[in-house]
Amino acid sequence: MSDATDMEIKKALVTISVEEALLEIGRPVLDAVAHSLYVNYTCFIPDCLAHPEYLRQVLQELYGNGCANIIKSIHKHLDEYAGMQQIEEFLIAINPITIHSYQPR
Amino acid sequence: MQNNLQHSDLKKFLFITIAATGLVLLIANLFGKDTASIISLILYIPVTVSLVVVSIILSKRFGFKGDHGKAWILFLIFAILWFIAERISLYYNLTLGEELFPSEADAFWLAGYPFLFVFTIFYIKPMKRMISKKIIFVALAISITVLTSTLYITYDQNTGTNLLEFSIAIAYPIADAIILVPAIIGMMLFLGGRVNFLWSLMCIAIISEIIADTGYLFAVLHDTYYQGHAVDVLFIWYYIIFTFGVYHHITIFKDHRKDPYKNIEELR
Repeated sequence: MSDATDMEIKKALVTISVEEALLEIGRPVLDAVAHSLYVNYTCFIPDCLAHPEYLRQVLQELYGNGCANIIKSIHKHLDEYAGMQQIEEFLIAINPITIHSYQPR
Repeated sequence: MQNNLQHSDLKKFLFITIAATGLVLLIANLFGKDTASIISLILYIPVTVSLVVVSIILSKRFGFKGDHGKAWILFLIFAILWFIAERISLYYNLTLGEELFPSEADAFWLAGYPFLFVFTIFYIKPMKRMISKKIIFVALAISITVLTSTLYITYDQNTGTNLLEFSIAIAYPIADAIILVPAIIGMMLFLGGRVNFLWSLMCIAIISEIIADTGYLFAVLHDTYYQGHAVDVLFIWYYIIFTFGVYHHITIFKDHRKDPYKNIEELR
């Protein structure tokens, strides 16, 4: 498996997890998050694998303290893939407790 | 930046609307009870219609799926029930020339509360794990304090009043105090987020409603209530504040499906 395909699979996993977590709340919430990512960071949901801080910031701006529960839900969806390096880094970076100490490689 | 501008404009417009309705009803009262009655009845129409309209728009946008979809459907039912109650009240005012209490309108008003309560539950449900015991304790403490004060103030006033009248009148502040609990929880939960505007407004509206219901209870017990009474302005504000809160949600959760991605080429 090439690196590019491997990365695309991980991006897809992150996208599905984020979308599922947000769709549990409502379709307009997913639309608002996707729109805000694009407008503020010129970024799409799959790009959040490389920039989890963007997603966290958008969720924080939208739901304030309540966003931590959405992040927990994303964690839950991605837990079984946490063994993959980039997914693990994504999960560490998006975590509200570790966000400030995380340094991307 | 644009959102912040819209948000501050909305706040200004809310403040102007509240001040204008208060001033209109105050001036109407200076011209006598009949004028106040007509003006307040007129004011109730746009405020209740607006709440139903914004609720329909948001319910349609969220659909039936997701916790917030269900929440907004419940909110719409609440808005419709209160709209019907206001129209019944209007009917009695126009046909009998006075506010009938208790009336069928009270059944619709009281029926609206469970829907508003379940709305708040469904809205905060996706974030339920973030609700600490401390948040629940603070919300309960505030609500019980407000309710106890209301009951304490009104208890002594019940001198020879019909028990049914008193029970129905006292049911409103009790229901408001119950709604206040999830509203405070929501306000603390969404602190720092854009959705917090709705929850802050909801708390303000509910407190305004508790004061209005207590004032109404006083006026009914002393037989001094008339349509257009000072407490009516607080009821009108309740609808206005809720409408602005829901409208703000419409601006947050805009339908972007028709917006083209302008710089799509540079992203690929």
